[in-house]
Amino acid sequence: MTPPATPNGSQEDLRQHIEPSQPVFHNFLRAFYPFHPTYAISDTTVTLPLNEGDVILVHSIHTNGWADGTLLVSGARGWLPTNYCEAYDPESMRNLLKALLNFWDLLRSPMTRDSELFANQEFMRGIIAGVRYLLERSNCLTRESNLVQSNDGLRRNRKALLSDLSALVKTAKRLQEFTAVRHNQANEGEVNNTIDEMILKAFKIVTRGVRFLDVLEDDIRSRQQPVHRVMATVAEEVYNPPTPPADSTSFEGTQQVDPAYEAASRRSSSHSSGSGLSNSYEQTKRQSQSYKRMSTTFPNNSSASRPLSTARPTSVHIKRQSISHRLSASIPAAQRQNLVSEKLNASHDLFLSHLASFIGRLHLQSQSSAELILSVRQSVTAGRELLLVVEAICAHDLQSAEALDPARNMMYNRINRLVNAARDIITASGIEEEDVVMPQQNGRLLTAATDCVKAAGECVANTKFVIERIGDFEFEPQAEGLGIDVASIGVVSIEEAKPSAPESAPQETTPPEPASRPPPPPLVIPSYEKPLPEVPLSSPPITEQTTQLSQGGLQPVVEDETKEMAPEDTKRMSRKSMLPPLPKMTSPLLTQEDYSPSEQSMNEGEFQPSFRSGSIAISSSGTSSTYLSSMRDSESSMISQTSTRATTPDNSIYVPRNQPSISDLSVSGSQSTLADDADEGESKMLEKTFAHELLHNKEGQITGGTLPALVERLTTHDSTPDAMFVSTFYLTFRLFVSPMELAKALVDRFDYVAESPHIAGPVRLRVYNIFKGWLESHWRNLSDHDALVVIEPFAQDKLGRALPAAGKRLLDLAQKVSSADGPLVPRLVSSMGKTSTSLAQYIPADTPLPPAVLSKSQIALLKNWKMGGSNPTILEFDPLELARQLTIKEMNIFCSIMPEELLGSEWTKRSGSNAINVRAMSTLSTDLSNLVADTILQYDDAKKRAVIIKHWIKIAHKCLELNNYDSLMAIICSLNSSTIIRLKRTWDVVSVKRKDMLKGLQAIVEPDKNYAVLRRRLHDHVPPCLPFVGTYLTDLTFVDAGNPATKQLPGLGDSEGMSVINFDKHTRTAKIIGELQRFQIPYRLTEIPELQEWIQAQIVRVKSSSENENVQQYYRKSLLLEPREITHPKPSPIEAQNGWSAGQKEKFDIFAWTHSRDKERSGSVSATPI
Amino acid sequence: MRDYHIVVLGAGGVGKSCLTAQFVQNVWIESYDPTIEDSYRKQIEVDGRQCMLEILDTAGTEQFTAMRELYMKTGQGFLLVFSITSQSSLAELQELREQIIRIKDDENVPIVIVGNKSDLEEDRVVTRQRAFTVSQSWGNAPYYETSARQRANVDEVFIDLCRQIIRKDNTTTPSIDEEVVYRRREHRRPHRSRRKKRDGGCTIL
Repeated sequence: MTPPATPNGSQEDLRQHIEPSQPVFHNFLRAFYPFHPTYAISDTTVTLPLNEGDVILVHSIHTNGWADGTLLVSGARGWLPTNYCEAYDPESMRNLLKALLNFWDLLRSPMTRDSELFANQEFMRGIIAGVRYLLERSNCLTRESNLVQSNDGLRRNRKALLSDLSALVKTAKRLQEFTAVRHNQANEGEVNNTIDEMILKAFKIVTRGVRFLDVLEDDIRSRQQPVHRVMATVAEEVYNPPTPPADSTSFEGTQQVDPAYEAASRRSSSHSSGSGLSNSYEQTKRQSQSYKRMSTTFPNNSSASRPLSTARPTSVHIKRQSISHRLSASIPAAQRQNLVSEKLNASHDLFLSHLASFIGRLHLQSQSSAELILSVRQSVTAGRELLLVVEAICAHDLQSAEALDPARNMMYNRINRLVNAARDIITASGIEEEDVVMPQQNGRLLTAATDCVKAAGECVANTKFVIERIGDFEFEPQAEGLGIDVASIGVVSIEEAKPSAPESAPQETTPPEPASRPPPPPLVIPSYEKPLPEVPLSSPPITEQTTQLSQGGLQPVVEDETKEMAPEDTKRMSRKSMLPPLPKMTSPLLTQEDYSPSEQSMNEGEFQPSFRSGSIAISSSGTSSTYLSSMRDSESSMISQTSTRATTPDNSIYVPRNQPSISDLSVSGSQSTLADDADEGESKMLEKTFAHELLHNKEGQITGGTLPALVERLTTHDSTPDAMFVSTFYLTFRLFVSPMELAKALVDRFDYVAESPHIAGPVRLRVYNIFKGWLESHWRNLSDHDALVVIEPFAQDKLGRALPAAGKRLLDLAQKVSSADGPLVPRLVSSMGKTSTSLAQYIPADTPLPPAVLSKSQIALLKNWKMGGSNPTILEFDPLELARQLTIKEMNIFCSIMPEELLGSEWTKRSGSNAINVRAMSTLSTDLSNLVADTILQYDDAKKRAVIIKHWIKIAHKCLELNNYDSLMAIICSLNSSTIIRLKRTWDVVSVKRKDMLKGLQAIVEPDKNYAVLRRRLHDHVPPCLPFVGTYLTDLTFVDAGNPATKQLPGLGDSEGMSVINFDKHTRTAKIIGELQRFQIPYRLTEIPELQEWIQAQIVRVKSSSENENVQQYYRKSLLLEPREITHPKPSPIEAQNGWSAGQKEKFDIFAWTHSRDKERSGSVSATPI
Repeated sequence: MRDYHIVVLGAGGVGKSCLTAQFVQNVWIESYDPTIEDSYRKQIEVDGRQCMLEILDTAGTEQFTAMRELYMKTGQGFLLVFSITSQSSLAELQELREQIIRIKDDENVPIVIVGNKSDLEEDRVVTRQRAFTVSQSWGNAPYYETSARQRANVDEVFIDLCRQIIRKDNTTTPSIDEEVVYRRREHRRPHRSRRKKRDGGCTIL
């Protein structure tokens, strides 16, 4: 999709008006001037007409100044000229706008896993918080506020805003119900429809908010200026466009400075400084409409026009997907829309949107044949348009015709199949009385429609490829009626329909008026969703209609189709540039001459099955006033024009509206009928919240937030907080907040929830529970003791008053906790849900322990050693048993590692580290390595050394079999150390088999590619298993180093976002700790005390005061055992590298190791290059 | 594209993990996950040549002294990091270097000495002169001062090390004299550039 060229006709004097442009992407724009494309708007036009005051959600901005945006007032998406707009970002609206962005991103994202997302209502909180913020900033939070009381317009707008919000909340709840029932894919359409509905509603809320702020501005203005008029009537206020103050200095005289007021005035003044557009059309229009804008900002000569193509930098940062295009911007706008690529896209979108809404409806309970015919007809018409475009391309280039043939035929077949399916169903059900198509019959339709979507996608993709190849060209409606003018198709279909369904025609023009039907709503109520004039025409009661249909109109139509869809049609269409004879679904419902897509979609809306249960008055008025009384029914009228998730922009809604959008939204008289329960609901919806200070990722997990926002999340009233979130919080909170601050934040939460009495109960209970959990299982007296100063009075006073039992319990806990050593209630070993008792799930407790591999003579040896006899070598013991005992020894330490040892790099502290067990792990690991080296180096005989090496390889292998990666690592490290690996004579004696075994073991602990092999093994590893602790420690260190402590909330426009706690970092930390804890399950192995004792003694033996000393000592010993081969005529390749005498080096290594080598070297650079 | 294996070593708390994280992370990465295979890989251009650096940083496991040689084995070049705020962190490098030379059995193994935390000038205890002396005594290994926190000189140390590895590859079997001359020439440059940086970048330091 390519944006049209710059809207201004004259581009001569661009340079004069280049303003210093800011490379800021504004997410929201507001039209300060109406824009109605001069060329006729057809369904393929993706240019949005703008009315003054319209607010647009911007998706991307093309360098020529056109923006791809969605009009909030209608949900229509298309291109619009940014030079008619200004950034819209008033302070008090900021959170709401931001929330809408998030809402849009979340709901539009195909990544969103609906079921998870909608299972809780978290995604709703942003919008609610945004509305609350707006009201709060404008001092209108409560109905009783002076401002609300004094200004009727404000009051009404506020009410409308809240009722819209309530409507959205209810829709969201419905979605929750959907997903809760665990639907299969068949329900996707319905969910999508609801999502679309919700997006439109969110748009509406924001539009209301904008309106509200406008009224507020008017109000402040009216207070400031010497008021010449009496209090403006509601209607007047509503229809007045936002007006800049005549004299901005008068602002200074404001007695009451409200932030929202300030923002409003800022915005107003920015109005006046905004650049003007001044072609004569606009000027005259402006005058005729007598806008109150300051005329000085609009110079009279045409040179004042400032096309944004130059003002916008070419590198406008586009946040969302920008649409690629290959057209040059020089093509005039009028022509551009005739380009075949444009046509293709537009018709494809239209087709998809029809199909999608059709599919969506199939999931509803039932529908009448009439509805079915209508929607199938719409889909087919759209499909026909699409095929027409493809045809045109084929005609343009014969080669491509061949290439496109299969895809085109496929699409044609699929459409045919859809029509056949629809026909069969209607034929079958049409005879029956109720004339209703039951959902179980929909399977075939569904498949057919889905196939259509697929086929169309393929066909369009192929066609686009062809266009790429042959180049874009202009697509002229062809003489033989191949134009894709929908209107003409409509006429044709109507002509065809008439003979077949004559009875139905009058029904449309003169709707029957049954006595039971409520009078139509006063026409002064402008309908927000639809063009006004059509409204009454489309509101015959369904029951009446369908009855009539079943009597007459339908049957002939169906027969007509049967004829049309003979199979030879398929062949006839191929490879001809002629229009393929598409099946025609003639609808008796369609009689209007000025048939347009918009009306189609309107009809679509009107015939939503859900209307049946609603009153006609509601369906035809469609104003917000009806939301409260019969939510669902009136809501469905909004769906009609929604594009589905699959299709944006939806072209069917680009119709010029007769009324300016602001006034469309106006508060009509009907709003005074708002049910009173809206007011009761107010406080419920507008509970004080910090939800806007929370950051989520695409999966809905919390990634950041302020402390109050996180605490609020911990204590939600309506859903159990996510277990992962809570345990992460308990585990890591001391990294981002002091215990004292947390206690205060919890108390604050307890306090401010009083403003929302309906949720106060559950929230307070949760606050208590969080305190209780903290004190019982997560208390660290050393750091947390200070917080008792807050907790104890709270328990006694506030909590005690609200929940006496809880207060008493908390007070008890607080007193115990300061004296207790360790947690009062033993914490589960793993905070991530694995417990020590879960051992049972891996090894049943009644499994007999494996028998020890220890002979009587071995026991005797150990006893003898204990009595002071000779020390047995490791060779005396079976590798398996040694591996087992080592595993038991290490696992005992591993299981004692507390999560807090792993936080804040506690284990790396040089002194006073509390990470006792982590330190013990690394010490044991190092000791084991030393023991390996020690046992090997104790023999002068190379063969004996080789035997020991072999034995250690076997032990390492057994460790692997036991999944003891930690000991495996220690042994491999030692065998590979420079000390051992250089013992060439020794290794020569080791068998190839053992060497290969060692190689295999080595490959497992290889640190290459971030321990790829080891990680892969540990992933999904079933306990019992002793992982190498080092990887966890490194991961924890890097999570800390690589992720900042805070995050920025996204700011709107050029504003800086607020800085919040980077909770994602802590979640990652907790996840890694959880991974480690997963393995804190002891082995079921028999401990042999004698052997343990002996191993311990060996370890103590090799322990030395300094690690470095050890390493050097062993290396020296290694050199003594197998000195560098001085006499060897040809030194080994490695040693030869240095090109110096090996003897020299050896001597140097042995005797000068610890001496200051630097001095030696610096003096001998030329002689011995070191 | 060739892989170059670089090992980052140094005492705990010298900020080497920050150095590595800063280097590996692209600025636009919102959150860094160190648990995946690519966490420590980064492609850079050195003298017009694309190099894939695979960095092994053992931060957090400094106490597993027995593991060190396992890490060192894989490395072709070594970043020896200390903190200019800690005398002992420089002293610990001595042991590490000896171990590297032992395990690689090569006196000329590519090494870059890094004095980190240059943003904490007021806490400096290791003078530049002292660090420079050490670097001279270690075969003129280039010495850089970096600030991982301010991302100063971060890329430079990795590029220098990579360049050394490439040069070493290209001169696999040089005669002794040639190599000496070569090395001298080679190492003068980094010093100069470092000085320049230092002069121009006093505000950073």
